[in-house]
Amino acid sequence: MILRIATIVVKELVQFRRDRILLLFIMLVPVLQLVLMAQAVSRGIDDQGVVVMDLDGTRWSRQLAVSLDNAQELEVRYYAEGNDEVRRLLDEGRARLAVVIPAGFARSLIEPGSSQPIQLIVDGTNVVAAAATLGAARGVAGRFSADLATGYGLVTPELVDFRTNVRFNPTLDFRDYTIPAELGFIIYQVTLAIASLGLARERELGTLEQLMVTPIRRLELALGKGLPAIGVGCVNFAVTWAVGRLIFGVPMNGSLLLLSALTLLFVTAVVGWGLFISAVSQTQQQAILFVFIQAMVDITLSGFLVPVKNMPALLQFISRFVPLRHYLEIIRSVTLKGAGLDALWPEAASLALISLVIWLVTLNRVARHTD
Amino acid sequence: MLPARRFSLRRLLAIGRKELLHIVRDPRNLFLVTISPAFLLFLLAYIFSFEVTRLDLAVMDLDRSSLSRRYLESLSSSGDVALAYSIDSYEEAERLLVEGSADAALVIPPGFGEAINRGRPAPVQAVIDGADPLAGREAVNSLAAQSGAFVLAAGNPGATVGLEPVEVRTRAWYNAGLESLLSMVPGLLSIVLTMPTLALALSLTREKESGTLEGLMATPVSGLEYLSGKLLAYIATGLVSAILAWLVAVLWFEVPFRGSLAVYLLLGAAFFLACMGATAVIANFVRSQQTAMFIVLLIFIVPSFFLAGLINPVSHTSLVPMLTSYALPGTHFVQISRTVFLKGLGLAYLVQPALALLGMGLGALLLALRTFRKRIG
Repeated sequence: MILRIATIVVKELVQFRRDRILLLFIMLVPVLQLVLMAQAVSRGIDDQGVVVMDLDGTRWSRQLAVSLDNAQELEVRYYAEGNDEVRRLLDEGRARLAVVIPAGFARSLIEPGSSQPIQLIVDGTNVVAAAATLGAARGVAGRFSADLATGYGLVTPELVDFRTNVRFNPTLDFRDYTIPAELGFIIYQVTLAIASLGLARERELGTLEQLMVTPIRRLELALGKGLPAIGVGCVNFAVTWAVGRLIFGVPMNGSLLLLSALTLLFVTAVVGWGLFISAVSQTQQQAILFVFIQAMVDITLSGFLVPVKNMPALLQFISRFVPLRHYLEIIRSVTLKGAGLDALWPEAASLALISLVIWLVTLNRVARHTD
Repeated sequence: MLPARRFSLRRLLAIGRKELLHIVRDPRNLFLVTISPAFLLFLLAYIFSFEVTRLDLAVMDLDRSSLSRRYLESLSSSGDVALAYSIDSYEEAERLLVEGSADAALVIPPGFGEAINRGRPAPVQAVIDGADPLAGREAVNSLAAQSGAFVLAAGNPGATVGLEPVEVRTRAWYNAGLESLLSMVPGLLSIVLTMPTLALALSLTREKESGTLEGLMATPVSGLEYLSGKLLAYIATGLVSAILAWLVAVLWFEVPFRGSLAVYLLLGAAFFLACMGATAVIANFVRSQQTAMFIVLLIFIVPSFFLAGLINPVSHTSLVPMLTSYALPGTHFVQISRTVFLKGLGLAYLVQPALALLGMGLGALLLALRTFRKRIG
């Protein structure tokens, strides 16, 4: 039996080698993708365009503009004279935030009760960028009086001396957070794409019938199709991990052995899904349709776009069946938090269970289907 | 076949008609090309329909005075902060943070209340899970702001001369409530509308796999007529899918549509042209449907989530990633879609992305024709 499975594995590998372009895309493009995406997201939301309309024109109002510009997220690019200009800059998307400093702003800081609020107008078309920009501007405004007072030697003792200690990612570096997730995405897409078409392609081309007349049993066929895909996933992990670690300095606070073991579990689960799709599809086109729908749903529910705990309860529940969700949790926790199996056993158990069920269903389906 | 045959519109339309028949006749293909974007939008957008960003706090109150309780109450009063766990040791805090059950641990040391009563600053320590930098920053800002608010509410017995705090009023234009659904649905259109492109990629490679391309090559149809005919059919059906997805966005998710439908569809056609042109080039080098699917997934779908400005805005701080972002048709369509939907602006404001898409599409089409001819010869 082992021998027959090995024959199928060899046949699959020969086919991979023959399709040069596919091989190129399996091995090279994911690395390229990682490099490009890692550079693009590494800085997070920085230097968003700000337009300032300063109706006060005092030393302090100018100081406020400088303080805004000093915030990492903001960059004061324009000074507007009137409302039309502000409207135009936001319409054209050249500024994401407008700050209107009213006349009498400086006076209102000295005289209690003469409140002259500054106005922040944000472009709400991208809510994530809007929230980050607003938060930064609010932070600057909140600290402004205290900073000014300190500059003049006036002290306002705070009631609560609030100290923060940021754990796991002390510099709040986006790169350390996003690259592990991208790695997960890349392994996921490669593995799923390889596993999902194996059987459907043979069926469409008629070679499945040829295989059926050989002594190879269905179970062996499924395993022989699955193992190379698992292998490709693991090689992909090794390569992209090396790139992430050596080139981008992704932190590794946990155990590589644990991460590798759980990656194997994840890849097995994804290959199981892929084979299942392949087994229930009549044509490649049908399989591809399923793969795309599944990929988009998986990516959405993975917790990358919206943290899982912020999702509606029903979607949170559905996301438990998505291997990618568990894997993103795992890879982030191991790399950043140094989490061990004691913290990650729920994710590991979920992956194991998903793998087991999907493989049993698939093998059963393949065994029954053609007899 | 003679290379110098003259271009014939009739043959082009014949190919287009044949493609349309293929699409309409096969229910799976019809679903893939026309209905799947609307269906996917329906699925994907649900995740953005609830807005809860809650900060789960593990609290270690070593003071247990009335003032420390009042401080904790004031923290949770806004509803953004939940006092989820009450703990007794640092080990417990560590465990909750590593598991991800708590977003931050707050330690109120003994003597908190007494210090405040004597007018001295009372130290409070927050340990924040910074693994997610965006959430981490939000947690730091939110907790610091709430602590500051407590100062004002309790009055400050030790205060000396200071300056009045700066008051801030905020407004959001185009999306007044900063609702993520309204922002994400127009953005996601750019991802789900790659499905017709996938269908084209499959159709081009399937003709090679099943050998029907060779049959076509024996007819007088030229490369130009063949590719344009295919593109025409898929862009036309793609526009049908764009209308269906638009209906889901406007009717089901009630995203305001402030611009003109004609502009949306015109630029949608440019988006399809750019995506499908690039696909036609790639398909010339690809033999199997599997590889074609893989490339569409790798080039259009996954990077679009990261690079197209859907969530993080396009980064302008380093050159190569910025160019990559703008090389993705999706980046331009995210901008177009959000501008037409939410800002309600016309073509005059969209010249740049429109030209980019058009340029990409025509350039790719030319390249596809050149590489296509070589293969026939």
